[in-house]
Amino acid sequence: MMLRTAPILDVAGLTRLHGPGCPRCVEATGPAAGTNICPHCGTVVACADVNLTLMRGEVLGVMGESGSGKSSLVRLLYGDDAPTRGTITFHDGNTPVDLLALNARQARRLRNRSFGIVHQNPHLGLNFRVSAGGNIAERLLMGGEMRYARIRERAMALLARCEVPPARMDELPGRFSGGMQQRVQIARALATDPPLLFLDEVTTGLDVSVQATILDLILELQHQLGVSMIAVTHDLGVIRMLASRTIVMKMGRVVESGLTDQILEDPQHAYTQQLVAAAL
Amino acid sequence: MTDWILRTSGLTKRFYLHDQQREIPSTFAVDLALRPGELLAITGPSGAGKSSLLKCIWRTYLPSGGRILLREASGAVTDLVTAGEQHVLALRRGEMGFVTQFLHCLPRKSALDVVAAPLVDTGTPVEAARDAAATLLARLNVPSHLWAVAPATFSGGEQQRVNLARGLIRPVRLLLLDEPTASLDPVSRACAVGLLRELKARGTAMLAILHDPALVEALADGEVRVEPHPQTHPEEAAA
Repeated sequence: MMLRTAPILDVAGLTRLHGPGCPRCVEATGPAAGTNICPHCGTVVACADVNLTLMRGEVLGVMGESGSGKSSLVRLLYGDDAPTRGTITFHDGNTPVDLLALNARQARRLRNRSFGIVHQNPHLGLNFRVSAGGNIAERLLMGGEMRYARIRERAMALLARCEVPPARMDELPGRFSGGMQQRVQIARALATDPPLLFLDEVTTGLDVSVQATILDLILELQHQLGVSMIAVTHDLGVIRMLASRTIVMKMGRVVESGLTDQILEDPQHAYTQQLVAAAL
Repeated sequence: MTDWILRTSGLTKRFYLHDQQREIPSTFAVDLALRPGELLAITGPSGAGKSSLLKCIWRTYLPSGGRILLREASGAVTDLVTAGEQHVLALRRGEMGFVTQFLHCLPRKSALDVVAAPLVDTGTPVEAARDAAATLLARLNVPSHLWAVAPATFSGGEQQRVNLARGLIRPVRLLLLDEPTASLDPVSRACAVGLLRELKARGTAMLAILHDPALVEALADGEVRVEPHPQTHPEEAAA
């Protein structure tokens, strides 16, 4: 069920520069330089030289404060943004696919079928003009399912799985509570049974009891479906609960990576020590 | 004499605090060898690095020096100081267990599910895992009317028994225990001792921090005395 010996995603040297860029952008920025703006050309270095491997069935945590490059990284991995350089290899079954070598249509198809994303803000992840069920139908249609009855049946099952009462499937998401909107987002992200899920601050802003139920749901899904996940959060409690390994980002760089309990209890980098000390 | 399953040599842990720019010594130069079916008691004053020793073996702490050799079920010998992250995670899932001092678990989950979780995580069907959890909770003297309740509301002793049950439910070759019975009443403690003895008889190797000499007497085959780093000031060692 949970085969953790094979990678599903390999990322090497991933770099994203916003601006003209110059040969000194990377060396002149980062945690040591104390800035992510290149002093020579003014380019913003959103992230630089990020390397990571995600195994099948594994949850990798990405932590860091606002502006550390966590969300930029997710945008690059999900294909919402294109890196300046670096490689992203997705292992589609046993076939390694170089995501950056795909044309737009191939990339879209792969993403619709194999990736899901849950955003902090439900407005980014849901279409508020169509019903909860319609949101799931959209994803299924993009994935190529055309049979109305199948779509409706699948939407109903997914909402039930995410603890959204099926009786409310024809309501607009705007009428739902924040926690329930997140559940619809998760159901939508899971519509095509993607092997890889990106979670971008999914519990931020929810009250504690709702947070717990969402985390519960995510853990159950990881468990039963064996979905691999990259979970971005600044909440150390969420990281502790979800992720077996964690990377820590600051100013667009990975400053530390390791087993999650090690990162939280024996942080090595000055920045991680600060983050952990601030949270306790 | 059976071969060791775990052997440490010169195992040392120091913490470096960046904001204070100083080093805090912890575990210092620990040598030990543990065989299957054996329980070694870790003793020593507070602050000598007993918990750190266990956390280094579990790799929650990155050791600063020395070696931690684990003989895996396959016969391969792995140095846990340098083993890769995926390797350590696989060993945690398959061969090693850790009963921590305090219970950390998801809120809202019933005690029964908290205890069953390690089995469910490794592929046992939920019902079978719950049955095993019920058996263990009963043996550890946790009243059955509490099983459906989340442990957050339990007393310290009840939480510790849930924690112990969760730590013991999955068969492992090497079990680390951090004061597993510290807040138990005599009856529950006797239950716990009985369970640990059974595990020993089945060949589980255990490394346990035990404060109570009577417990050391009842369970341990040997003692590893951990002493503070020689340069540590006494007041720091006590902190």
